[in-house]
Amino acid sequence: MTRHPLDRAAIALGAAGVVSLGFALTTSGNNNFVLVQGLGLLVFPVLGAGAVIGGAMGQRGIVLAAGAAYVASALIQLAQFGRSTNWIDGNGSTVALLLSLGIGLLVVGLAPRPAPPSADRQAPR
Amino acid sequence: MATTTRRGSPSTDHGEDSLTTRIGLAVLRIGVALLWIENAGWKKPPDFSALRSYTEDAVEHPVVPPFSWVVEHLVLPNFTFFAWATLLVEASVGAFLLIGLATRLWALIGLGQTLAITMSVMNAPNEWEWSYYLMILAHIAVFATAAGRSFGLDALMRPIWQASDSRLSRLLLRLS
Repeated sequence: MTRHPLDRAAIALGAAGVVSLGFALTTSGNNNFVLVQGLGLLVFPVLGAGAVIGGAMGQRGIVLAAGAAYVASALIQLAQFGRSTNWIDGNGSTVALLLSLGIGLLVVGLAPRPAPPSADRQAPR
Repeated sequence: MATTTRRGSPSTDHGEDSLTTRIGLAVLRIGVALLWIENAGWKKPPDFSALRSYTEDAVEHPVVPPFSWVVEHLVLPNFTFFAWATLLVEASVGAFLLIGLATRLWALIGLGQTLAITMSVMNAPNEWEWSYYLMILAHIAVFATAAGRSFGLDALMRPIWQASDSRLSRLLLRLS
């Protein structure tokens, strides 16, 4: 079965979310690219896995839900970082990555797709 | 450009670029994105103390005197606003370049922010001016090559935007 390019993009973005868990392995407080720790260790891979599943099943609703959840997480992180209450335990870099994955999944999920060929249309001979 | 994609059918938009070229452009774009993403990390509200220190360099070690005047009389007195704007712009540049969406627009915004940084800190002690020249050149490269069309969302979305008659789609075509 040939997968739609937009579904493949959703899978790739979701996989990026799962793989971003690797940023947690960096030990430097300065050069760690993206700060992933605390609840972020759950948010990135779980939503990423959701996007992968949504893309693999061709279910735009799941892709959109994962994208919306990433964007909501980015907004929560933006509002909280630098304060004593920081649920995701990240910083501005965490905001950027969450936002990136969220916007990407929303764009992929909302993009119009060409209608499938009508069933009663005869195939050309 | 010699593409044979059908209208409305998302596909790649990379013409005859070789796979090596496309991978190189994607690495460049993602690398520049990570530069902004990582550096959004140390701009910490509510006081943005580290960012304030760098901003003050524009006044203490001027690069372009009119810019120093603007920083002294407009930016520093309203620092919290400009600090939030800096954080949001840099996080957004990183976010959009990472996924390669509206890449040319965000490369230009990144270039503008790079110029602001350059004019703020290039003459500060222990700065290597070529860091900033290289940042400028990297953004020009991302813009000039429309790097989002290589493994970015621009490659997927451009055929959809081309098939649409809306003004937003036409605008996005130009910005990607």
